[in-house]
Amino acid sequence: MNYDRPELLDRLASEYAFGTLTGRARRRFERLRRALPAADVAARTWEARLAPLSQPVPPAQPSSSVWDAIDRRTGGGPAATRGERGWRGWFAPALGFAFGILATVGVIRLYPSTVIPFDDIVQQRGTLPASYVGLLTDADGAPTVLASSTRHGRTMTFKFLKPVAPPPGKRLVLWALPKDGAPFALGAIPPPDGNRSVLTMSGTSEQLLSNVPRLAVSFEDVVPAPGATPSPFALTGHCVKLW
Amino acid sequence: MPDPTELTALLSRVALGDRAAFRRLYDATAPSLFGVALRILNRRERAEDVLQEAFVNVWNRAGSYSAAASQPMTWLTAIVRNRALDELRGATRHQAESLHDEDTGEMREIEDDRPNPIGLLEQAADALAIRACLDAIDGPQRQCLALGYYHGMSHSEIAAHLGSPIGSVKVWLRRGLARLKRCLDRT
Repeated sequence: MNYDRPELLDRLASEYAFGTLTGRARRRFERLRRALPAADVAARTWEARLAPLSQPVPPAQPSSSVWDAIDRRTGGGPAATRGERGWRGWFAPALGFAFGILATVGVIRLYPSTVIPFDDIVQQRGTLPASYVGLLTDADGAPTVLASSTRHGRTMTFKFLKPVAPPPGKRLVLWALPKDGAPFALGAIPPPDGNRSVLTMSGTSEQLLSNVPRLAVSFEDVVPAPGATPSPFALTGHCVKLW
Repeated sequence: MPDPTELTALLSRVALGDRAAFRRLYDATAPSLFGVALRILNRRERAEDVLQEAFVNVWNRAGSYSAAASQPMTWLTAIVRNRALDELRGATRHQAESLHDEDTGEMREIEDDRPNPIGLLEQAADALAIRACLDAIDGPQRQCLALGYYHGMSHSEIAAHLGSPIGSVKVWLRRGLARLKRCLDRT
């Protein structure tokens, strides 16, 4: 099928959002939606168009066991329930977090020269300076961009471990995801020169990142204004303090 | 109807792993979303399973929600409807087994006590001030739209329900959706 035809995408999206696209055709459109931004836009447009039709459906109260099950499955719930799930209940998230940090530190060791302002310092002192470092991975978990900044520096340096191609007209925007609070944009990452790029931030890393456990990158038309909400994240990763 | 700004704020906190925000999001939206799933599945326990799956999905995917791309309730409703439709169609395949009475070998009927969904479509049109536009759509097309959207019926189920050929139902739905689009885009 030629998915470049907007009218075909619109018809598929209408039947998908409405619900009458079924079976394999439905699965195929879901895959298409993930791969082709135009298909996703068409589906979202139809979902938004049809959403008001759900308004008059009378609400109903689900039984309280529904929340209990959701709570348990998303890692919350009472301590007793967690105990029943055994060590995996608390160990798996802890392991995942530790692995993310280990991967971040591991990649820095693999690419010691990537942490740009560090080169001279490392040679002089033989150690890494106090810094904030983030390893951003793509949707498949592949390490994609290494971000680093000295603790009191105002520049964030990026090493592209693999190319990142934003859609035409879009730019890469770096977001900080604080522990408590909404994500905020740190700025647009300039197109890399070779595989490196440097972003000047509005403050020092210490001021901006001391309470930020995660970083993310989205594709945006413009550098978002303060308070703006990010587009879906293309890359995400832990932000760790190295000192 | 929950305030979209508040829901967006809650979703951004859920993306950061805030459990209290997740609970508030659930309390604010679960009854409406459960109503939508219940209407499609017509069985409380199945609708509750779908609601559970949908919210686990919301917890895992909240980071991908973009307020610029969709209203929060639109995003949540789409997740629930998609889950409910998958459950309905997956369930249809198993229904032959579960409804087949082992003793008598006869099929039991599950009573459909849902009101005719055409009333819901008309209420929605009234709320959106597009009632005249909706009423101008041919009767069979309107029936197909209501049964498809609110009860999640497929082409063949609508055909069986209306006692009409499936070919006609496909044409009615395609034309009906095009007309409905024109109505909805007026709002």
